[in-house]
Amino acid sequence: MNIRHHVGDDTLMAYVNGTLPEALSVVVATHLAICPDCRRSVAMMEDMAGLLLMESEPAELLAAEKSLAEIFEGGEEQAPASDDKAVSADRYHTGVPRPLADRMPTSLDNIPWRSLLPGISHYPLARGSAGKGKGTLRLLKIAPGKTIPVHSHTGQELTLILRGSYIDDLGRFQEGDIADLDSDIQHQPVADTAADCICLIATDAPLKFSGFFSRLLQPVFGI
Amino acid sequence: MTSADGIRQDAAADKARSEELERDLLAVANTRDLQAFKRLFANFAPRLKFFLVKRGMTENTAEDVMQETMLKVWRKAMLFDGTKASASTWIYTIARNVRIDRLRKELRPEPDPNDPCFVPDDPETGEQAMSRKQDRERIRKAMSVLPPDQMTIIKMSFFEEKSHGEISSELNIPLGTVKSRMRLAFGKIRAELEVTS
Ligand SMILES: [Zn+2]
Ligand SMILES: [Zn+2]
Repeated sequence: MNIRHHVGDDTLMAYVNGTLPEALSVVVATHLAICPDCRRSVAMMEDMAGLLLMESEPAELLAAEKSLAEIFEGGEEQAPASDDKAVSADRYHTGVPRPLADRMPTSLDNIPWRSLLPGISHYPLARGSAGKGKGTLRLLKIAPGKTIPVHSHTGQELTLILRGSYIDDLGRFQEGDIADLDSDIQHQPVADTAADCICLIATDAPLKFSGFFSRLLQPVFGI
Repeated sequence: MTSADGIRQDAAADKARSEELERDLLAVANTRDLQAFKRLFANFAPRLKFFLVKRGMTENTAEDVMQETMLKVWRKAMLFDGTKASASTWIYTIARNVRIDRLRKELRPEPDPNDPCFVPDDPETGEQAMSRKQDRERIRKAMSVLPPDQMTIIKMSFFEEKSHGEISSELNIPLGTVKSRMRLAFGKIRAELEVTS
């Protein structure tokens, strides 16, 4: 896979420090599974955080001896080492990396797509634990030659290309590429090959559509 | 020498200390060495507490979370891989995850190296364990000379674990400025890492 568009450093940093909303974190983690470059950036940021931790001034502990004693006392029963990882990696043979696979009801080939416009369909995914997470997460399918109506964003939009490709004002996005868009950007993606373009999209705030289709799409994306 | 922002330029002393902490962590992993763990605790527990209080926790909660973190260090030491992370980096990630588990309803999914879809590192970069150690020295060097306005944001983000939005309103600067200062800072550090030795 030849990845040309990566996660922005500011977005990676929010992922590293745990402040990125879960819906957006799913997209970042799915890209990290296939992108050694971005994993290197995460490692760099965690090294920076580790350095800051080691260099910080020590606070005075109120109960150091007690803490140590409790750790040695309770500590020996071994927590099963990352037991969740023992679960078969791709339950549904989804063909997508695990951070996304864990949220898929079935394989990418069997998604019960819901039509939005001719040639454009979507499938909303649970956005977070108990659905309380901020933002939305969905799969989107664009048929060859079809266009997502022009829209702008009121927050951040992260798009990961899972199959096919699209082209917009910012460039050509192919399998594995990520489009990390801020609120000031307006665009109009067009699927530009003979295959369906399937992508994973997370937003932390509503999209704003303009033009003819806006009334049709606004109720779906403008939430 | 200590810079105003607390990243010292004394690379040799830092290297010695890092190596000592790593030896201790490996001793805990391999032989359940109590003395080594006590040294790790003496080093990290007070700093973890400082970090957690900075996050806005009360002293008692901070010590609770610190204890939970150090308990995980004790239990999971065998999972530490010195070729991938330094002791302080590894402990930072544990503390972060404990905090997320405690304070958050939201999850922070991570890639799984055992996933059949996982794309591993190039062998060329994977084998360079020594270069990872040099990387940390270069990161330190680059951080010690970051301009204060960039360093402030890096610290608020990593250390206080503030979101970009929180940083923007606290410093009273536009969100776009927060993000561009971050990109500038990381760009400088990455440039330092790309210098061939
Ligand atoms: Zn990437
Ligand atoms: Zn968009």
